Amino acid sequence: MNAVPNDSLKALTRRHFFSRCALNVGGIALASLLGGKTNAATANPMALKKPMFAPRAKNVIYLFMAGAPSQLELFDYKPKLIELNGQPIPPSFIEGKRFAFMGSSHGTKLLGTRRKFKQYGSSGAWVSEMFPHTAGIVDDITIVRSCAASLFNHAPAKLFMNTGSGQFGRPSIGAWVTYGIGCESQDLPGFVVLQSGPRGPRGGAVNWGSGFLPTTYQGVPLRGNGEPILNLTTPGGITAARQRQTIDAIRDLNLQRAVETGDPEINTRIAACEMAYRMQSSAPELIDLSGETKATLDLYGVEKDQPSFARNCLLARRLIERGVRFVQLYHTNWDSHGGPGENLQNDFDKVCRDVDQAQAALIKDLKSRGLLDDTLVIWGGEFGRTPMGENRETSGRNHHIDAFTMWFAGGGVKRGAVIGQTDELGFNAIEDRMHIHDIHATVLHLLGVDHTRLTFRFQGRDFRLTDVHGEVMSRLFA
Amino acid sequence: MKLPVVRLLFLCLPSAAAGAPVDYLHDVKPLFSERCSQCHGATQQKNGLRLDTTAAALKGGEHGPALKPGHSADSLLLQAVKGTHPNLSRMPYKKPALDDSQIATLAAWIDQGATAPAGEQPGSAKHWAFIPPLRPPVPALTPQPTNPIDAFILARLAQDKIQPAPEADRTTLIRRLSLDLTGLPPSPVEVDAFVRDQRPDAYAQLVDRLLASPHYGERWGRHWLDVARYADSNGYSIDAPRVIWKYRDWVIDALNRDLPFDRFTIEQLAGDLLPAASMDQKIATGFHRNTQINQEGGIDKEQFRIESIIDRVNTTGTAFLGLTIGCCQCHDHKFDPLTQKDYYGLFAFFNNAEEPELPLATPKDLAAAAEGEKKAAAFIASLPAKDPSVWDRMLTWERGMNPTQRQALPQAVREAFDVGFEKRTDAQKQEELEAFVEHAPENKAHKAALKKLRASAPKIPSTMVMEERGKPRRNYLFIKGDFTRDGGPVTPATPAVLHPFKTKERANRLDLAEWLVEPTNPLLARVTVNRIWQQYFGRGLVETENDFGTQGTPPSHPELLDWLATEFITQRWSLKAMHRLIVTSATYRQSSRARPELDIIDPNNKLLARQSRLRLDAEIVRDVALSASGLLNPKIGGPSVYPPIPEGVMSLGQVKREWKVSEGEDRYRRGMYTFFFRATPPPSLSVFDAPDAFSTCTRRLRSNTPLQSLALLNDPQFYDFARSFALKILREGPASDPDKLTFAFRRCLAREPKPAEKETLQKTLTQQLALNEPVKNIPAGIDPNVFSAWLTVARILLNLDETITRE
Repeated sequence: MNAVPNDSLKALTRRHFFSRCALNVGGIALASLLGGKTNAATANPMALKKPMFAPRAKNVIYLFMAGAPSQLELFDYKPKLIELNGQPIPPSFIEGKRFAFMGSSHGTKLLGTRRKFKQYGSSGAWVSEMFPHTAGIVDDITIVRSCAASLFNHAPAKLFMNTGSGQFGRPSIGAWVTYGIGCESQDLPGFVVLQSGPRGPRGGAVNWGSGFLPTTYQGVPLRGNGEPILNLTTPGGITAARQRQTIDAIRDLNLQRAVETGDPEINTRIAACEMAYRMQSSAPELIDLSGETKATLDLYGVEKDQPSFARNCLLARRLIERGVRFVQLYHTNWDSHGGPGENLQNDFDKVCRDVDQAQAALIKDLKSRGLLDDTLVIWGGEFGRTPMGENRETSGRNHHIDAFTMWFAGGGVKRGAVIGQTDELGFNAIEDRMHIHDIHATVLHLLGVDHTRLTFRFQGRDFRLTDVHGEVMSRLFA
Repeated sequence: MKLPVVRLLFLCLPSAAAGAPVDYLHDVKPLFSERCSQCHGATQQKNGLRLDTTAAALKGGEHGPALKPGHSADSLLLQAVKGTHPNLSRMPYKKPALDDSQIATLAAWIDQGATAPAGEQPGSAKHWAFIPPLRPPVPALTPQPTNPIDAFILARLAQDKIQPAPEADRTTLIRRLSLDLTGLPPSPVEVDAFVRDQRPDAYAQLVDRLLASPHYGERWGRHWLDVARYADSNGYSIDAPRVIWKYRDWVIDALNRDLPFDRFTIEQLAGDLLPAASMDQKIATGFHRNTQINQEGGIDKEQFRIESIIDRVNTTGTAFLGLTIGCCQCHDHKFDPLTQKDYYGLFAFFNNAEEPELPLATPKDLAAAAEGEKKAAAFIASLPAKDPSVWDRMLTWERGMNPTQRQALPQAVREAFDVGFEKRTDAQKQEELEAFVEHAPENKAHKAALKKLRASAPKIPSTMVMEERGKPRRNYLFIKGDFTRDGGPVTPATPAVLHPFKTKERANRLDLAEWLVEPTNPLLARVTVNRIWQQYFGRGLVETENDFGTQGTPPSHPELLDWLATEFITQRWSLKAMHRLIVTSATYRQSSRARPELDIIDPNNKLLARQSRLRLDAEIVRDVALSASGLLNPKIGGPSVYPPIPEGVMSLGQVKREWKVSEGEDRYRRGMYTFFFRATPPPSLSVFDAPDAFSTCTRRLRSNTPLQSLALLNDPQFYDFARSFALKILREGPASDPDKLTFAFRRCLAREPKPAEKETLQKTLTQQLALNEPVKNIPAGIDPNVFSAWLTVARILLNLDETITRE
């Protein structure tokens, strides 16, 4: 049947490799399979791609505070608000605005914070007593108090913070980044997600989805319990030798088919299968913290074998060390409306304690290991909280999109700066307003990617993370 | 062979080929259309310039003629794209510059005289897809192929002097055809029968048999369910389960009885509005109930009602018209002659529906159920009198709940929580009281009494449907797509650029549906046959299957597309007739082997000088493994099922949903029946690119990732399949090991193994038999090492690229 000699089919297969992609170290194993020739490259979608210009950051650790922390209890100190506590908000602030829980009665009276604030570091940043450890790293971070969002319900807002749109179906920022510049790790996925807190973030997997980009780019959740990646464990008592022989046979048979059919997709599958096998050992190695010193574990506050935000921060560092491009941590629950489990009193104390020590430890640890220069750390929720109080059983604050605080560290960001101002009640950003689209543009810029040129054609038009918006906020840059 | 090579070289090395004549239609006009016409075309003429015809370019704009034929260096156009003109910005304005080869092409064209074919029409002339297809003549060839599709394909191949590929062997053909028409692989018995079938019409007989199989409706129904964004949950963050599988079953059944596509369209869009609408026709309107429902606390309900209508408009545009009409939600379309007014005209058709659940029962059952509910309501209402502390206890219960417990309660109850007790309506209080009785353990006695009252009433299944509303809502244009900004009234209307709509008082969804299926609609038939084509060849004749507008790719075979579209209408919109036509063509039956000699001329196989290897869809990956292992439960339809999924998957969502694993044969149903939560989709489906069901999907991606390998290798379900497969080989396979290997191989791949393949398998089997480290749970009566070794063989075969590929 076959009119073409096998040799030329092999050659064809190789030509497909060369024509389709850049060099990929993982392809070397494959090269030996294809007759010992070197320089083989596969159509690896995670292959490193050249940045558009010199990057300031190589990796990202994004600490996503799910539910939206109150900036007024943490970073945005407003004496005037404390003074006017209990007064109705002046109508000029809220005219024509739509809010979450619009139909309900609560939430038109101002609520001054009860938390004590002090200034820290050479930047003189205000930080409340809730974040004593974070107060100790203010000279390593840039606090932006003038962030702004567009949507005021959690799920769409979280989606917006991740994908630049409240509509489902768009790729998340981690997917865009790995699509844009690839990933250095041959043994782990390019985009990894870690979760902690009492529940999953609203919206679930779409927050780290790949949207219309190939699924290769979607975030892979590392699980808190059991095996860290789905289907990582060889089932049913199959031994390592048995598994290796299985994979060798699959490879050999696939290779014979690749030669027979000349289809380069088979070679991609062979490479994928090899990576899967490597992940079976690399992922357990990743989560095995036995090699970490007691000092390191104590720095983060990791308790042995306990899933926690602290453990995830440490895992984030280990992921970055192993060449993973984008690590996203979700921690819940910051949704401080004032109801049970969600009040600004004890519940807020708890969630602050959950993160404070570990996030400060992450910055210190990255810095001491020389990783902070290349790693951009992002901290923030999907929006902020109102200067008005919500009084349910206990007090809380409603969702607020006009001003909230995020902080950034490492990866080309100023060390020790405060950017942006809100008005005297903390309602509107009045200086250096930084909308989510601007944040996205800035993050991509730090990674050496022009947000206007990172596009993907879908349903008849070129989509980008920032849609038709986004300005790079160079004031953040060191 | 020679010509295309020359052209290719020219594109790559324009300077070296400056003397070669530039083809205006091929090389210049598309460049103008892609890079310039947005500002200098039919819709806009910045500075008075348009570039959609050469004549217009010669006439020029406010700065004078854009072209000086024969003198590219003196032409404004060249100076503008190079950015060398002192007063003009570099063009395209604020967009990436043309690359050097494009500029060189323009220069060469101008230097050669800037000629264009006579009678060139400006861009206002309708885009091809907006003109109804005229049936083109079938190309005359010697010998004349019997199937007209082949005549079109061969005629195009002949232009480049390419021969088609030989027909695939019979084993490949039956596997291809079975997977394409039913999504199930052929059994070895079926393969043998077909290979031996000497009748001249053996292939046609096979096609007829498979088209008559009820699994045909499942296979092609699933393709449509992608378009319909079907899933079993409400989406957004709460993602509560919903009951709408009756719609899924309606689709399967409609395709199996070959309901003509025009009726198929009408019943889904407006079945409820048909005279004396049947239950089935109402169920069909579930099509547009597959939108998400936001049940999060604190939302503005009107906002999300509107979101779902926006999705209905966008989906209608994509599914039936192949247009990116969604672009017009906020502004007039940037490229296509579609306006924001058109958008809200379509919006108005959908804005007048209620969104009820249709009980599927006889009036008698309904009455009995209503009676039971009435009794239950009376019981709840009477509780405070009988049990005076109940309100206080209820409020204590309410206060004590954590957010996760609250999320699990019905939406009406959660809404009640958001209002102070005094302000709650009586209905809200009743709802909450009922939830309190149902959920708080302290109310055992009340709960039992309530249960008893309901026990006598029949359980009525329901499905989500559309229903026209008596009093119409006001329709208005949303400024910048924002429903809070009223841009003035609109009435139901269809896009002006398409065939006329018979305007009447209070036009409704049925009028829209009837307008869509009019034979003068230039898009419906083309878009539909193109999507069918895409499933068989991996790519549509129009590659941008969801964009037939000006920014879409032009058809690779425009005459064939139009011939198929007109044939579809001639065949009275019979889908089965179109399937039969395509799969009986020689084009479809070609071998899928790569053809290195065509690598340069046609690297992406657009000319179809061969078939393509296509990775199977997510559900079919599962179905093939189930078939090979003999576990498949071929039951069609019914409520979605819960096969085992990895632990922890359901906790990834905001609300942890229950996943009670199905027992018995329901564990082994086809992949399309797995319960699909939008927020936490089954991992073994998503990893193979099953669509997320958030919006319409007209083409699945085919990714190829390590997570897929992990799923096939280690997923407990696939391991379960492999164990059953191993048992089947040992219990039902032939006596000798080599024969057993062939037996197993054919169950996965239909064909016989080649000697080298068999050698690889035999070598591995021998190695494995020598491993004295048996797996767990050895079935009774089988040597542990033997079972373990054959389990490996089973896993190898189920993991092969070819097993999950249609060749």
